[in-house]
Formats: sequence, structure tokens, C-alpha cells
Amino acid sequence: MSASTIRVGVKQVKPILSVDTEEAKKRVLNLYKAWHRQLPYIVKKYDIPKSVEQLRLKLREEFMKHKDVKDIRVIDMLVIKGQMELKETVNIWKQKGHIMTYFQDTVEHKPTDFLSQFLS
Amino acid sequence: MLRSSLIKVLNGAKVSPKHVCVTFRAASDVAKKPEKIEVFIDDQPVLVDPGTTVLQAAAQVGVEIPRFCYHERLAVAGNCRMCLVEVEKSPKPVAACAMPVMKGWRIKTNSDMTKKAREGVMEFLLVNHPLDCPICDQGGECDLQDQSMAFGSDRSRFTDIQFSGKRAVEDKDLGPLIKTVMTRCIHCTRCIRFASEVAGIDDLGTTGRGSDMQIGTYVEKFFMSELSGNVIDLCPVGALTSKPYSFTARPWEIRKIDSIDVFDAVGSNIVVSTRTNEVLRILPRVNEEINEEWLADKSRFAYDGLKRQRLITPMLRDNKNELTPVDWEAVLLTVCKVLQQAGPNVAAIAGGMADAETLVAVKDLLNRLGSELTCTEHVFPMDGSGTDLRSSYLLNNKISGAEEADAILLIGTNPRFEAPLLNSRLRKTYLHNEAQIAVIGPKVDLTYEYEHLGNNATAICNVLNDNCPFSSTLKNAKKPLIIVGADLLKRADGAAILSLVQSIAAQTCNKVEGWKVLNILHKVASQVAALDIGYTPGVSKIREAKPKALILIGADEGAINKEDLPEDCFIIYQGHHGDLGACMADAVLPGAAYTEKQATYVNTEGRAQQTLVAVSPPGLAKEDWKIIRALSEIVGHKLPYDNLNEIRDRLDEVAPHLTRYGEVEGANYFKQAAQLLQEDEEKTLDDSPIDLKIKELQDYFMTDSISRASPTMAKCVQAVLKQKESKY
Amino acid sequence: MAKFFGLDKLAYLFRIMKENGGIRSSLYKLYRMDDLKMGTLMGIDKCGNKYFENNRYFFGRNRWVEYAPKYGTDYDASQVPSEWYGWLHYKTDLTPDKDPSRPIYKWMSEPTENMSGFSGAYIPYSTTKPKIEAWVPPKPS
Repeated sequence: MSASTIRVGVKQVKPILSVDTEEAKKRVLNLYKAWHRQLPYIVKKYDIPKSVEQLRLKLREEFMKHKDVKDIRVIDMLVIKGQMELKETVNIWKQKGHIMTYFQDTVEHKPTDFLSQFLS
Repeated sequence: MLRSSLIKVLNGAKVSPKHVCVTFRAASDVAKKPEKIEVFIDDQPVLVDPGTTVLQAAAQVGVEIPRFCYHERLAVAGNCRMCLVEVEKSPKPVAACAMPVMKGWRIKTNSDMTKKAREGVMEFLLVNHPLDCPICDQGGECDLQDQSMAFGSDRSRFTDIQFSGKRAVEDKDLGPLIKTVMTRCIHCTRCIRFASEVAGIDDLGTTGRGSDMQIGTYVEKFFMSELSGNVIDLCPVGALTSKPYSFTARPWEIRKIDSIDVFDAVGSNIVVSTRTNEVLRILPRVNEEINEEWLADKSRFAYDGLKRQRLITPMLRDNKNELTPVDWEAVLLTVCKVLQQAGPNVAAIAGGMADAETLVAVKDLLNRLGSELTCTEHVFPMDGSGTDLRSSYLLNNKISGAEEADAILLIGTNPRFEAPLLNSRLRKTYLHNEAQIAVIGPKVDLTYEYEHLGNNATAICNVLNDNCPFSSTLKNAKKPLIIVGADLLKRADGAAILSLVQSIAAQTCNKVEGWKVLNILHKVASQVAALDIGYTPGVSKIREAKPKALILIGADEGAINKEDLPEDCFIIYQGHHGDLGACMADAVLPGAAYTEKQATYVNTEGRAQQTLVAVSPPGLAKEDWKIIRALSEIVGHKLPYDNLNEIRDRLDEVAPHLTRYGEVEGANYFKQAAQLLQEDEEKTLDDSPIDLKIKELQDYFMTDSISRASPTMAKCVQAVLKQKESKY
Repeated sequence: MAKFFGLDKLAYLFRIMKENGGIRSSLYKLYRMDDLKMGTLMGIDKCGNKYFENNRYFFGRNRWVEYAPKYGTDYDASQVPSEWYGWLHYKTDLTPDKDPSRPIYKWMSEPTENMSGFSGAYIPYSTTKPKIEAWVPPKPS
């Protein structure tokens, strides 16, 4: 009984792209670099009120959101989604607003503490 | 099984003595009970007690027989004939509601004969029933409408409209609560039976015979009862409908929210009907333990008070000595400054509609500020054990327990108006249990006969010292019951009276296990919860302490006024209605009424129940405990609860029964409470006559901030006064 | 010669300034009305507004009103009373005092100026009954 549970636990799953963590890491870095190279062109082509520096920070932020993901298959999935985003951006399939949604400048966050909730 | 173990015992088999005892008792129980009868409902066998009616037997197997006149809680009339069913080998169909079953009967509730009988009855009912469903208030929740769809004929043979027309009856004026359209009446006589059996008012009756029969009051007279609204629910058609609710809404447009009533200490279960954030009506919800399926008129009709005289914005007294609307921040900062300056010189008074959450939040805040002055408006003697032992301030024997009593002594209370649903139980006991009832206090009409023992404390002494015939009745009774009104204990000699009553209770005690003789009947919904949480009853302590700041939590009874307080005392009123309390306040914090918050109330039996949010609080008003919580944070003593669950945890910490909803937490230690009270210093009895606040019906309708704001209740008072002047 | 150098324009300016009461008051009028004109006073209405005409200016600019000093810079076209309105807008060439045939009925009310933006402004309000009636605190006696 217990042996079977362990077997289930370490069951080999079919990888999506990467075989091990090293490879997954390589893919992530490649994606990061690709984005990074495109940033100046994105600023220019989309004519957004943001500088390259700000975009770099945002790029880092978006990648750091998933820094705790350990599952290779999830990493691969995220990388694929990232590539799709990149392609859509670079080919101008997106519009200005789509890029600007990364910067949620106008979103007002709802208060979370009791007193501001009470007074709002 | 039982018998086999019995044989084993008799044969000397080795069984533990405990087992033997149990077996014997069970065997004797079986012997006592009469044998059950087997009948067949639609070929389903069912075992029922002898004397069960066909309708009840059918209900046991889940077959519902249509009915109009039959009602579980009223006497059987058997005059609508809708419940006709076929019984095999009986030549005629049988009225199921009135016919007791016989052994081996095969009842067919869905045979051709039954169907034909129902169709015929329905046809005759509809001959004289108007086709005004589109303008009828009962439309959508009408028994006749539903049953004519289910059991009526699908085509009409009615042609008489060309010749003699339909019966038409003049409408009756039954007062400001009940609207009558007597043409719609199908003469089920439920209202008559309710009036004479439950409400105890023999005002309604029938005149005439056949198609000239009319339901009415014989002479022009209002149907003046504190339970009159229930005939609206009882009426299976639209003959009796609610006047304030008339032409307001259809049942399918309404959202129904289960809640609890707070107009008296009974804690009746109610359903609040709302639409577009507005309370449209209040109906009773069945709870056998509390209100059965009735509801008192004030609870049912005072809801329009929730829409008038409301506090919808925070207010502060400006330099012109006028209350002006301000925003929450301003009022909280001002109150905070006051509280910080006052330091521990802060007091709080809880009114009759404060919920347990608010009570505990206020007490926590005041304790953090260093004050212990949390009081309730209504007085209770604090001598002896005071409110430490719950048994000394609860209706210990429960409301439903009153039904079993055989001797009842009411002291200084008028249950008819202080707790109408308890009074209906007492009346039931009087009718069906032949209970002997005696009253000490003013002579009032309680809807049943009673022996009047006197109107002062001496009468209580007489009962104790066997100086009156009723004392022997009480002491020899199997299940005696003493109900003491909370109003009586307000007096200066309240403790002495309570001590006397406890002695009487002690003399009668312990005949039936679990039977509790001593019962206190409170008048307001918040009192028991407040005492459970540890509030001090009465405001005398506040008068002595001269606080710098006073928080009124819906305290509108005028227990304290400006003259009792020092000149510089800052009064903060938190509540939902502008009334006495708000008038004297320097700052007003608008709170939520009972239909607008999820809150805990403990009724006079000690049963915790919760209201649910039916509509949102109006304007800037907020839930009461949240106001206190926000204030505490600004004052700098943050209370450790942010949401309802957390404050409920706090309630649980203070007294676990406050969150066990629907259950009664029983109390005990009667002896100890009596002892402690007697050990206290000598008490002198004041022999002045006992007085009651609510003696007659006109006093009943407007007793609190909501009902005082209600136009319907004002109309009721006017109607009662008008009725008084009438010659009938 | 003087005309050639434009000196007559300068002289005209001085005349306007003199007409308007010197340098200080001319500057004030310029500040107040963004305009400095000279003309014949045609009349003064009951509010104290002065009405001028000078046909040297082009049609449309030859009749103007100088609002009463009490209005300061808060003047507004609605402060022109109805009897002067017609003359000011070229509906008639007769000033009110020279036009006796204007009918006066007793139902005619005094003209009111536009109070938008001031304390007397009209504020639209709902005429539906509120669902919840608020408590009005009693006045302290």
C-alpha cells in the first residue's frame, strides 16, 4: 500500500519541453533576454508614455512574480505563454492599451484594513 | 426483542441489574400505550394511534389531502368539504379532517370518486367566489387559487351569472390592520376559530345560513386583539388581507429572509419580505419552541417604522446647539477626543434592541478605557447573587414548557401585552390542560379566567404563608409555574419580592425532573444577552458616577436624562431611530435596525438566535458593532476583531451559548440563588400597589423607537381608543 | 501731417481716456471690461447700468452697456433688465424712456439675474418621496 503511494508520488511525468531544471532555467533566461532586447522597439513602436528603464523594471517584476515556481512543466507552460505574448507584442498584434495594462496606473486598490473600509 | 430479554431475566439469565431495570420500564411503557391501528392510504400500510383522523394518517405517509377549513392548531370544523376522500366499502366520500380512522380502512386519496368529489366541492366554492385574482392581494399565495389549479375542473359550467349573479357581501371594517373583501370569503371559519380559541376574543362569528351566511362581528366593531394579524395568514383566500401591505407586491417578486423579531423578549421567528431594498412585510416562521406559527401584531406591522424617523447620517451638536449632519470621520474624531479626555469616566447604557455583538464590543471598549460602567436600561435587583446565576433572570421553563403547567401564578406581569405569544401558550394551557391561573398585580384582561390574589406584596406573602386558597393549589400542583414580570423587580423592593418568589418556588419544587418553577419574563429583546455578557442592570450606578462621556446604545426609554448627568457630560447616541436618546445626544452615530444586520439576540428563555441582513442600512448608517470597532481604533484601544466571525469568536469566549443558535442554554442553581439572596441584609417590603406599564391594548402598540415611528401602530392606538368610545 | 504720423489716433486715445475719467479709471475699465470706448450715454437703468452708443464703431459694437460698479467683475448679460434688452440687441432704436407705447401688464415680474455659481443658484432636486424618511432633529428652544 505504502509502496504504491510512493510510486505515485515520484511518478515520471511526460515533460512538455524541458527535461530537467537546468534546461527550464535556460529557457526562462532566453525568454527574458528576448524580451529585454525588444523593449526599446516596443517603446518606440507602441508610442507608450513609458521609458525603456520602466519597461525593464516591469519585465523583471513580471518574471519575479513566478520566482517560486518549481514544477518544470509549469515553468515550461509559463515560458510558452511568455513567448506567445512576446510574439503578439513584437508583431503589433496588440495595441497600445494592451501594453499599458501591464502598468495598472489608474487602478485604485480597495482598502483592506478595517478603518478605511469603514470610512469608505 | 424486548420480550425475549424479559424472558431471559425471568429465567434467571445473567443480565446486569441496570439492564433489567431498563427492560422493565420499557415493557411497562409498551403496556400503557394503546395498540396502534393499521390503515392503508393508497395501499400504503401505516400504523397510527386510535383517534387519528384520516387526514393526519395520510400526512404520516406524505400524502397531502387538500383542505381549506382544517388547520393543525385549530379545532376541527369540517365544513369546507375539500378533504373528501374515498374509503373502500363506504357508500359516500368521507371528510378526512374530521373522521377518525378505523382498523383496516383502505383510503383512496386519488381515486375517481375522490377526484370527482373534490371537483364538485371546488365548483360550488367557485360559484360564489369572485374572479378578481388579478387585483387580489392573496393572488400567488392563495390556497383556493392553487387548489383550483390542482383539483378543480378544467371547464366552467357556470352560467348563472346571467340570472342571479354571484353572491356579494359587504366588506367589514375590522380595524387598521386587516383589510376585508368579504365577497371572497369561502366560510372556512378559520378566523372565527382562531379568534375564539387562540386570541381569546369571541368577536368573530357567522350570521345567516346557506348562501346568506356571513362572517363578521355582528355589530360594527374592530377586531381588537394583539394577535389579530394571524387571521391574515390563516385565511386561505383573499378575504382577510393585510391593510398596510395591500397592493404592494406579489409573492414572486419578493425576497424572503429569515430573521428574528426584537419587539418583545420572546424572540419570535420571522420572515422578512423585501424588494428593492425595502421591507415590505413581516410574516411568522414556524418554530414550535417559541412562536408556533403565530406572530404578535407589533412584530408583524411595526415594520413601517423602519422607514421613518431614521438616523441616516452621523450628527454633531454645533455651536448653535443644533444637531448638524457631518461625515463619519468628523464624528469619530470628535467622539475620540471626548473619550480620550474623559479617560475612565465613560459609561454606556444599552437599550432594548441592542444586539449581543454591539454589547460585547461596547463593553470591551469601555473596559479598555478603564471603565466598568456598562448598564442596561431595564432594572433587575442586584442583591444576593444578582445576575451571576442565570437562573435568576431567565424564563427557565421555556416558552413551550408553559403548555404543560397545571397551576400558574403570574406576579406583576401582563403577558398578554409583554409577550403575546407566551400568553397564547398560557391560554392553551388554560383551555386544554385545565390549568389554574392566579394573578398578583393589577386586574387586567388576559383572555382567560384567573383568580386575582391581590395587588401588592402582601398577596405574595399570603401565597408563601398558606394564607390563601391558591397557595395549596400551587404547592400540590404537579407542574406549577411562577412567572414574574421584570417590571415588578424594578421597584425598590424588587430584591425582597424576588426573594419571596424564590421561597415560594422552593416550596413547590422538584416534583417532575427538569421542571423549573421560577420564571422571569423580560420585556425587551436585549436584556438577557446584556446580563449574560455582564452588563449591570439599571442606571443608578451611572447617576452616582457622574461620567464625562455617556454612550447610549439605542437607549430611548428615558432611563437617564440630562439633569442626572453633570453639565459637561458628552452624550453619544448610537442607534437607528431619532427618539428621546438622539434628542439629548451631542453626537449621533447612525446604526442599523434589526432587519439590517446579522446580529445575535437572546430571548427571555436564554435562547440565542440571529437576525439576518434583509436590507442594507439606510444612508451612511453602519452595523452597530463596526462603529464601535472603528471608534476603538481611533481612540487607540483597537478591539481585536475585524469581521463577524471574529466578533462571534469573542462572544463565544465571553459566553459560549451566545453563538449556539436556536438552542436554549438551561440554567440552574435555584437554591443557591435563593440562599444568597436571603443571606443578604434584611429587606423591607413596600406595600404599595403593583403597577404595570402596559395594561391595555392601546398601551401595547407603541413601546419602542421603531413602533413609535410607525404610522400603522399610531393608527392602531387611534382605533383602540375609538373602539372604546363605541357603544359595543 | 499729423494724420500721416498717426497723431490723430493718439489724440483720440487721449480723448477716450479723458472721457473715461483719467488714466487710473481708464486702466481700471480696461482691466474690468477688456475694452475702452467712448460714446454718448443713452440712459441708466434701475440697477445703475449705463448704456452707451457711438456710431463711429461698426454695427454690433456701437451699442454697449457698462455694468454698474456694484457688480465689480461679476457682471453678466442677465443683469440687463428686459426694457433695455431690446435696444441693446437692435430690436428697437428707441431707448425705453423714448418709447411710451411699450405695454406694461401687472403680471409682468421683475427680471432676475442668473444666479448660477452663487448661493442663490437653482439646484435640481428629486420630487420622488424618499424610501427612508430621515429624522430631523428638533430645534433647541
